[in-house]
Amino acid sequence: MQSAMVLTEDEALEILTFLLCAADISLVEPTHYPIFRLIDGASRLMGLMLAHDPPRSGDFLRAFKAEVDERKVTMMWDMDAFEAFVREAPGRIAAEVKRLHDATAAKASA
Amino acid sequence: MSATIDAAAAEAVERIMKSRRVVRAYTGEPVADDVLRRIVETARWAASAGNRHLHKFLIVRDPETIRLVRAASPGMLADPAALVVILVDSDVAAQHNMQLGRDRSTQMDVGTSAMNMLNMAHALGIGACPVTSFSHAGVAAMLALPANLEPHLILMLGQPLPGARAARYPNAPKPLTARDLTYWEEAGRHDP
Repeated sequence: MQSAMVLTEDEALEILTFLLCAADISLVEPTHYPIFRLIDGASRLMGLMLAHDPPRSGDFLRAFKAEVDERKVTMMWDMDAFEAFVREAPGRIAAEVKRLHDATAAKASA
Repeated sequence: MSATIDAAAAEAVERIMKSRRVVRAYTGEPVADDVLRRIVETARWAASAGNRHLHKFLIVRDPETIRLVRAASPGMLADPAALVVILVDSDVAAQHNMQLGRDRSTQMDVGTSAMNMLNMAHALGIGACPVTSFSHAGVAAMLALPANLEPHLILMLGQPLPGARAARYPNAPKPLTARDLTYWEEAGRHDP
């Protein structure tokens, strides 16, 4: 896979801090909140990446982050909708990763 | 005060309390220092168990510090212009022979001071949101707090983004009424 630096050291440390702090509060929060924290962490990571305008995944990430932020909050009043999104989201990012992978492979073999 | 003035004051307070909502979307504009001072001053006048005032109120305006605190605070779902961090001072608690961790009044006082600030912020046109989902150890480190000061609640403050709530929460549930939450004389009896 093609690589590009899309996070600074400070930004990576920021996300690392978020993950560990989310684990800490998950010890006491309602049992379904850790799922929300993971989704929100994904949103935060996308936000940091987008600040560097990643050339290959930028368009996807911009749209996907907006959708994540819109749909993650359904956790507060509509767990069915939230769970449907949680099940759907991995396929969305995986499809984008596969698309980028295939594009890189095609370019390499051309 | 006369009865007329009392009625007007009661109506004003009631209007502020009933119209206040949690605000998690901000314009990014700063909150003036005198506004922050007025908001925090109301915390000093909140009900305090035993009039002990265990709490300190740390105002944070620096964007980089706010960013660091946010990294340790999964419950901060927005980028506020300022924070008020409610701290519990264990030195003051020790002076009063209090058993922190067992004495529930400490948390009650966090709530009363936060509520005063939420209402005052709203009265001044400032959006506010309380945050309790943060790592105490993480936030304490980000703010370089001394060992006697533990963060218990973070109040996010900022200029509210117009229309943000309506746009982001189109399917929010119907609010509970006061009657839903009120019992008269015995549990389960909603009317006098």
